[in-house]
Amino acid sequence: MSLPLLERAIHGDPITRYTDGAACSANGLVNLRLIPPTPETSSPSLIPDRLPEPGEQYRFHFDMTKCIGCRCCEVACSEQNGTPADQSWRRVGEIEGGVYPFTQRFYLSMGCNHCADAACLNGCPVEAYTKSPETGVVLHSSDACIGCQYCTWNCPYGVPQYNPERGVVAKCDMCHNRLADGDAPACANACPQEAIQIEIVNIADWVADHSAANAPGLPSSHHTVSTTRITLPGELGPELEKANHTRVHPEHPHWPLVFMLTLTQLSVGAFAGLALLRSARPLAAVAALLVAFISLGASTLHLGRPIYAYRALKMWRRSWLSREVLLFGMFAGSATAFAAATMFGLPRLAGIPTMLLGFAGITASAFIYLVPARPSWNNWHTLVDFHLTGLLLGSAFLRALGVDVPAGLIAAFASGQLLNQLLKLLRLMRSDEFELKASARLLSQDLERIFLARFALLVLGGIALTLAGYPIPAFVCALVGELTGRYLFFVSVVPRNMALPWAGGRAA
Amino acid sequence: MNWKRIAGLDTLAEQYSYAQDPVKGYVSASKVADHWVATTCGYCSVGCGMLVGVREGKAVAVRGNPAHPVNLGKLCPKGLSEHHTLQTKDRARNPLLKREGKFETVTWDHALTTMVDKFRAVQEKWGPGALGVVSTGQLVTEEFYTLGKLIQLGFGTRNYDGNTTLCMASAVAGYKRSFGSDGPPGSYADLETADVILLIGANIADNHPILCARLQKNEKATLIVADPRVTKTAMLADIFLPVKPRSDIALINGIAHILIRDGLINSEYIKLHTTGFDELKTFLEKFTPEHTASVTGLPIETIERVAMLYGRAKAAFIGWTMGVNHSTQGAETVNAINNLALLTGQLGRPGASPFSITGQCNAMGSRETSFTTGLPGYRKFESSEDRAEIAALWNVPVSRIPDARGMAYPDIIEGAIAKKIRALWIIATNPVVSFPNYDVLKQAFGNLEFLVVQDGFHPNPTSELADLVLPAAVWGEKEGTYTNSERRVSKVNKIVEPPGAAKSDFDIFLAVAAKLGVRDELFPGWTGPRDAFEEWRKVSSGRLCDYSAMTWESIEAAGGIQWGGERLYKDGQFQTADGRAKLFAIECEPFPEQPNQNFPLILNTGRTVEHWHTRTKTGNVAILNNMSPRAWLEMNPRDAKKLDLKPHDKVSVVSRRSRVDGVELRVTEIVAPGQIFMPFHFAETNVNRATQSAFDPISREPNYKQCSVKVERTSERSV
Repeated sequence: MSLPLLERAIHGDPITRYTDGAACSANGLVNLRLIPPTPETSSPSLIPDRLPEPGEQYRFHFDMTKCIGCRCCEVACSEQNGTPADQSWRRVGEIEGGVYPFTQRFYLSMGCNHCADAACLNGCPVEAYTKSPETGVVLHSSDACIGCQYCTWNCPYGVPQYNPERGVVAKCDMCHNRLADGDAPACANACPQEAIQIEIVNIADWVADHSAANAPGLPSSHHTVSTTRITLPGELGPELEKANHTRVHPEHPHWPLVFMLTLTQLSVGAFAGLALLRSARPLAAVAALLVAFISLGASTLHLGRPIYAYRALKMWRRSWLSREVLLFGMFAGSATAFAAATMFGLPRLAGIPTMLLGFAGITASAFIYLVPARPSWNNWHTLVDFHLTGLLLGSAFLRALGVDVPAGLIAAFASGQLLNQLLKLLRLMRSDEFELKASARLLSQDLERIFLARFALLVLGGIALTLAGYPIPAFVCALVGELTGRYLFFVSVVPRNMALPWAGGRAA
Repeated sequence: MNWKRIAGLDTLAEQYSYAQDPVKGYVSASKVADHWVATTCGYCSVGCGMLVGVREGKAVAVRGNPAHPVNLGKLCPKGLSEHHTLQTKDRARNPLLKREGKFETVTWDHALTTMVDKFRAVQEKWGPGALGVVSTGQLVTEEFYTLGKLIQLGFGTRNYDGNTTLCMASAVAGYKRSFGSDGPPGSYADLETADVILLIGANIADNHPILCARLQKNEKATLIVADPRVTKTAMLADIFLPVKPRSDIALINGIAHILIRDGLINSEYIKLHTTGFDELKTFLEKFTPEHTASVTGLPIETIERVAMLYGRAKAAFIGWTMGVNHSTQGAETVNAINNLALLTGQLGRPGASPFSITGQCNAMGSRETSFTTGLPGYRKFESSEDRAEIAALWNVPVSRIPDARGMAYPDIIEGAIAKKIRALWIIATNPVVSFPNYDVLKQAFGNLEFLVVQDGFHPNPTSELADLVLPAAVWGEKEGTYTNSERRVSKVNKIVEPPGAAKSDFDIFLAVAAKLGVRDELFPGWTGPRDAFEEWRKVSSGRLCDYSAMTWESIEAAGGIQWGGERLYKDGQFQTADGRAKLFAIECEPFPEQPNQNFPLILNTGRTVEHWHTRTKTGNVAILNNMSPRAWLEMNPRDAKKLDLKPHDKVSVVSRRSRVDGVELRVTEIVAPGQIFMPFHFAETNVNRATQSAFDPISREPNYKQCSVKVERTSERSV
């Protein structure tokens, strides 16, 4: 990357704010501004006068003592990047506490924190994210992005924003192209209070102690080592809370994923049954295979750019999403071979590799959701939930197709799921963590009826109808029950996020 | 939607691309301008200089003008998105005449003929005063000047006022009473140099954010904020005074009492430049710290400390806005504030000023020129000398110059109820949302024979009720000048053409004058707003607001020029007959509608930084409206508990007059127990259904800030 900042540093001229054309061409640097007619002037203190050296990076500094909550930075960011009105790359949150008249109100203005250990980047299956080696800015490529939105689940600050109009995610890039030109980022430039600045930080020092990235209303910096430094007011009350902490909404249901997860799990469970049970039939194998293909096909509907679904294989060394795609791809191949083999009477134990690939795939699925940014997902219940759905629906499916699956086994799986869900609810309810308690509140208040229906369907399909000898209605009930369960899984999660304005977003 | 997008081949990359703008630098390609127009912001009275980027005839970007002395390149969020107001969907495009309840597009000629015929018929039948006119603080000064002549001399009605009476009339009246003339004596620069700054009922962080930037430059000042609500501004204070509602007069009197008691007054200044000191001194004896503490709810030590700080300050600044003005004692509160400045001689020096921070972008221009509360150039109706002078300047018989003010805005509305007003012309204001006690306004409108609404936006809640809608150009589509709170006259320029058949208010006024047959007499040879400005320069010559040395060009070049210089009254000579300022003994009275068992809560109303007035503009700017999409009601947790209300409940605010339903509850310690707060921007949940018809007897400003209400959960039925 050719940076005029670098050039300035070479020439030892920290004051020059705008590189002139002659100097650029002399150094063979291109793409630099040639015309500086009364350019927008950035206060020199807003950006560093040199480039980061190796082992350093740029970061935001936010001064909470100066911010008056005017939200100029949000508007300036939107104007800078042409973002739709409902997608803010920079947001101003409110925190509040105390008792009148000793009330405390403060604001958090945050773009991307350009973390040292960026969760968005770590999870991305297509390497759409890179961390600039020169500046440390976490960059996102909309060309590489396939719109899987995994980063939006991974970031504990809620920074990456999915733009449905484009089918890709986008986020704050610290206006790195402006920085390269010696201009302050739009937010810093617009702030009337000069509460936002760019600084240089030594990465190793910061990784060792990043406590200055913490503030009331923000998730702990240890999840991702946020690099934003925050200057806090001197006498902060201990009881400061997010002003929006009472506003909890159900999250997006991600319907394609509800179906994809439930049906792949069903298929894996069915293939496990086919591999292990004596009375397996070719017809059941073909049916289970069909379910697998339908569900994997459905999953691409979740993507903003379905045509590039294959790219998701790329980052299998790092991303659980890539691993899921890889393992289910292998599962589908193996299952096809196995289903074909059953027609020619090959031994059913040939299904063992298919089964193992399938369970590995379910495990990878579950690990996608084991992210600190989504606390109600981030526990062993998710892993157990996904596998039990597979075992329950797989066996009920086979039984409905006439395979001789012991009813008691199905009822046991159903009971296991019932127990798992109850234990999870108990965990949510008893937690001190805001996000977990809020999830429990969603399940027991806003989503109460659906939550109860899910239990009823589980008991009815998985246990009552199965034991009573109605395999087809039992399977249908269990399937609807697990689909409902997966729906609740998605909508009842309360993500970690920064504090947001009380008034923004949807009405309660 | 195209299939390429659905498949993911197309990510609208071009639409979201970036480019180098020669001025702004690297920026979204959609915001790259081909030229920039310098102008002044059209929202509030801070009067920020801005540059609007235009590409292919469309405003695409805005930036603060780094050379403008007011804002030095910074803008608030409304200013930063102001170019979007020029492309909103709800713009008035054609004259619309209502026939059998439906609007029909008509020609300008037909519209204005109808309007003048109807107005004339009403005036012939019911007298000239049966026509009322309510204007605004949004026009350019040249238009205010033109409109004043057209109404008072052309139509011959005195019943003409501006919506500025809902806003800063108390400051005007207070200044006139204390100093003999309107005109805020100080400058924003005082915020940077004062060593004590007292803000009373002024939430500048929400309403004038750029003044916070000026304030921030002052590192040594002690900032004292008096407000019943813990506003964003209160959080900036070194000392926050959580006063009880409407106890500001007691606070000010209490401070004055301590200053006199401890000899912290400027006896020399009082002797030379004021009258009424002895009466005031006697009157203030009862405002002991104990009494003041009991009225304000503040600890005695705090009152003593604040008085010491003010009394010992080298330069003390008092700023106020609507917390003071929106009161039945608004003008008197301003007098009490002026007392404090006069007693200590904190006036006419750098950093020392009693300073009214105004509301609308050109409320000040209307104060100087508009011919509503006075004759143009701060001349007085009552003064035969002033009347003779203005008659001579205009070359009209002095008998045509009114010798008294007509009805003020609220009196025009009540006049319609009493059928004294039969026709009404409303210009660039939205009383259906902004006028207190909506039911009264509704009844008044129902009585009218003809209602003309001239506005840039249609439909809006008021224009929908009109018989005739005149589509006007708005900020950015016309040329002229604005005066800001610090008397700085700044140039406003045309950026784009108005939509459809919309015309500038100036052109509409001249066309109406032509229909009326007074154009040649009142506006001889005029073709554009510059003609009005040139005449105004002559008319203002020698007055306090003297424009005679200014030209449009010199104003533009200087980034605005303050009439009267950086501050007024440097020599201690005031605009009164004897040249002395008047001290007033101001009683602190309780606000008119005290809470009781049935209506136990005190309702306070105000603004939020994202919105402007009744949202005809900002409601149409997607990002602003998205940031603040609906109203809310702030209530202390202790009250919420008593009422068994939970955060985000939909509640109704019920007063003796009417109710507002379906407001989202914010349970918060921002407000004191017993008090609630609601923003007034939202037509959908209009808090002015609950506010009362109580007006300052001097300024006629409504008492928006306190009335008694109850709050209950909104039942499913009533929404």
